[in-house]
Formats: sequence, structure tokens, C-alpha cells
Amino acid sequence: MPALLLLLCGCASIPGEVRSLPHNISTELDGTPFYPQELYQCGPAALTTTLVASGVDAKVDDIVEKVFLPGRKGSLQIELVAAARQYDRLPYVIDGTLGAVQAELEAGRPVLVLQNLGIAAAPRWHYAVVVGIDPERREVVLRSGTEPRRVTPLMTFLRTWRRGDYWGLVLLRPDELPAVVDRARYLSTITSLEDTGRHVAAAEAWGTAATRWPTDRVALFGLANAEFGRGNLQAAEAAYRQLLDIDDGHVAARNNLAWTLAEQGRFEEAQLEIARAMELNADAALEEELRDTEAQILRKSGAAR
Amino acid sequence: MKFLKARAWVLRAVSISMVCLGFAQVAPAGMISTSQFVENEARVESLSRIEVLLAREDVAKQMVALGVQPQQVMERLDAMTTAELLELESRFDEQVAGGDALALIGAVFLVLLILELVGVTDIFKSI
Repeated sequence: MPALLLLLCGCASIPGEVRSLPHNISTELDGTPFYPQELYQCGPAALTTTLVASGVDAKVDDIVEKVFLPGRKGSLQIELVAAARQYDRLPYVIDGTLGAVQAELEAGRPVLVLQNLGIAAAPRWHYAVVVGIDPERREVVLRSGTEPRRVTPLMTFLRTWRRGDYWGLVLLRPDELPAVVDRARYLSTITSLEDTGRHVAAAEAWGTAATRWPTDRVALFGLANAEFGRGNLQAAEAAYRQLLDIDDGHVAARNNLAWTLAEQGRFEEAQLEIARAMELNADAALEEELRDTEAQILRKSGAAR
Repeated sequence: MKFLKARAWVLRAVSISMVCLGFAQVAPAGMISTSQFVENEARVESLSRIEVLLAREDVAKQMVALGVQPQQVMERLDAMTTAELLELESRFDEQVAGGDALALIGAVFLVLLILELVGVTDIFKSI
């Protein structure tokens, strides 16, 4: 019978690095709001909870229209993430460990999790929000479904979370970093925010990243582009130059610096920079963009005469 | 499948423009966007606008079929990155839809009851 159970639920033990709790202190975010879910709408309810907890004035009905899929009787992770961006929040997927959840709770952020309350053969996918962990009593506190304060034994939570691939999401304001930060994942979260048109929030987040990693090529480039996008040409120029001080051969930064100078009417400097960029572009990867920029500088300087 | 492959190849062959829809709204041609730079670093294959538009159309159809109002579909697609859109296009049915839906039959029910009693599952509590 134990063998059969193992086979049915695939319940390999939870790895130590997933279940270990760095701090033995109980945390519970009592102030986290609660939105009881309608049938099949745990996704909208959980997302609204985390949005409001991070200071957004979100309404469940609006979120339903953004994430609920009637034909699937549920909501997709991709759409929860996409909807959070529309409120200028960075949907950051945390490390799938209890320690990362605890660190976020200590930073004051509830964690939206995907659980499979059933088994692989009969799944019951469910979104809930972790608002507390009590290491002494081995319990997790959730805003879940229609229960404002659901208390679940730690091991049961871990098993249901494991079947959800340990997926946990926090919503960061653009001036916030996650408690445990993976640089590449954080930067790509900002890029996604920018690519979906949230330019003001993304610009602020690039500033946060450039402050955290002052010599990072992607963070500086992101900040410079965001400043350019907002029309802050001098701030953009400063950030491109800061990046070029670190990496003289950064062709894309030099190309964009040339653009930024041309926009300020400094055509001679712009031409010098684009010529230098063309020299450096050994693998010709950005050939087309460089030629576009050169043509634009010539056109603009001609028009200015 | 063969047709799809051929279509993708033709599209790639005729494609000239990079996809950087977000940045394109604020930056002029010739400026290099952050995502374009990051992708360039990672040597990610660039996609044409046509490929992305076809993916959009495909996902839009699936969402309408799943009961989303057509006017909301466009807004929801606009909120996605190109990568997310392509992920949905290629694997829509495999996506987990969290929503507590559950279908149970007799034998599975009994097994689940045992699993529940020994604390493996948490399925029967009110949601």
C-alpha cells in the first residue's frame, strides 16, 4: 500500500533547501486584505489581494475581465503576470523555496502561490496568497478561496505547492527589489514591463536596478534608454557615458548616445560617436541600426542648417 | 506540420523588421531598445512582425473560443510580451488554469480520500 501511494501521488520527499526556514520567527501580515472568490475565480481573487496589498486600487471585477478564462474554468499564470504589469507592478517569480517566501513576508509582501490541491491524476489547481508562516507550529497561513485565514500544516502546504512547481509570485513597486534577488530574472521582469508599454514605471525600475548594480551593463543601458524614452536627454547621455566608461566597446550604447547627441543638436559630436560605433561593430550585428542612425544624423544636421 | 514549417521559413525569409513594439512607440528607428540588446547578447532568434501577428491571431481565436469577450481579448493580448504570446501559441492546452475545477470518479475518489486522511492532499476542504 505505501508503494501504491508513492506511485499515485509521486510524493518524493521535499528537498531540504525547499523546506528549510532560515528564521525561527513567526511572521503574519495581518493587514493583507481578503477577497472571497466566486466559483473558479481564485486567480482574480488572489491577484486582487496581492495588488491591493502593494498599494494598487484594484477591483476584483476588473481583474476577472483581465485574467479569467471561462472555457478553462480558471486563470493562466501568464495572464496573472501580464495583468499585474498593467498596474505598474513588477511580477517577480521568487525562488521556489519556503525560505524565499519567508523573506518576502518579512519584507511585508504576501506571496501569490499556485497549488495543486489534488494529485497529478486528478488535479485541482488553486491560487492562494501566503500571508504568514509559523515555524514553531509548522503552519502556513493563507488567504484562500472563501477562507480569510486558512491555516495549513507546513508539510501539506509544501506537497500541494510542489505539485504547482513551487511557483510563487510577488508584486514589486518600481522602487522595490525582491528580498532575495536573482539579477537576470529581475532585469528581465523590467524589460517585460517596458515591452508592454509601461514606460514610466519601467524607467523608475531601471533606476532601481542601476542603483543596486551601478556597473551592470544591462541596468545602465536600460536606464539610459528609459530616460531617452521620457525625453530626458541629458540624463540619458550621462547614463550612456557611464556605461561607455565601463565598457568602451558597447556598440549599442554608442549608437544610442549618437542619437541622443543629435537630438540635442550636437551633430559633430554625434557623427564622431557613430563613426566610432561603426569601427567597433566588428561582427556587423547592428549594421542596419548604425546606418539608420548615421542617416538620421545627416538628415537632422542638414535640416538644422 | 510540414505546411507550418514551410510557412515559418517563408516568413523568416521575407522578414526584415525586428520586433520591439514597446520601444518603437517612443524611440525612433536606429535607436536600439533594451530588449533588442538583451536578445542580441543572448543570440535569440529575432522574429518578424508578421510571425508575431499570426501568433496573436491564433491565440485570440483560442481565447474567444474559451469565452472571452472579443473586445477584451485585444487588451489582454496587448498586456503580454512577445515571448508570452508565443508560449501560449505553441502550448495553450498545456497551460495550467488555476480555478479549483475538479472532476472525480468513484475509484479515484476513494484513493483521494485515503491520501487526504494521511495528509498528502488538501482537496476536500472548502476552497
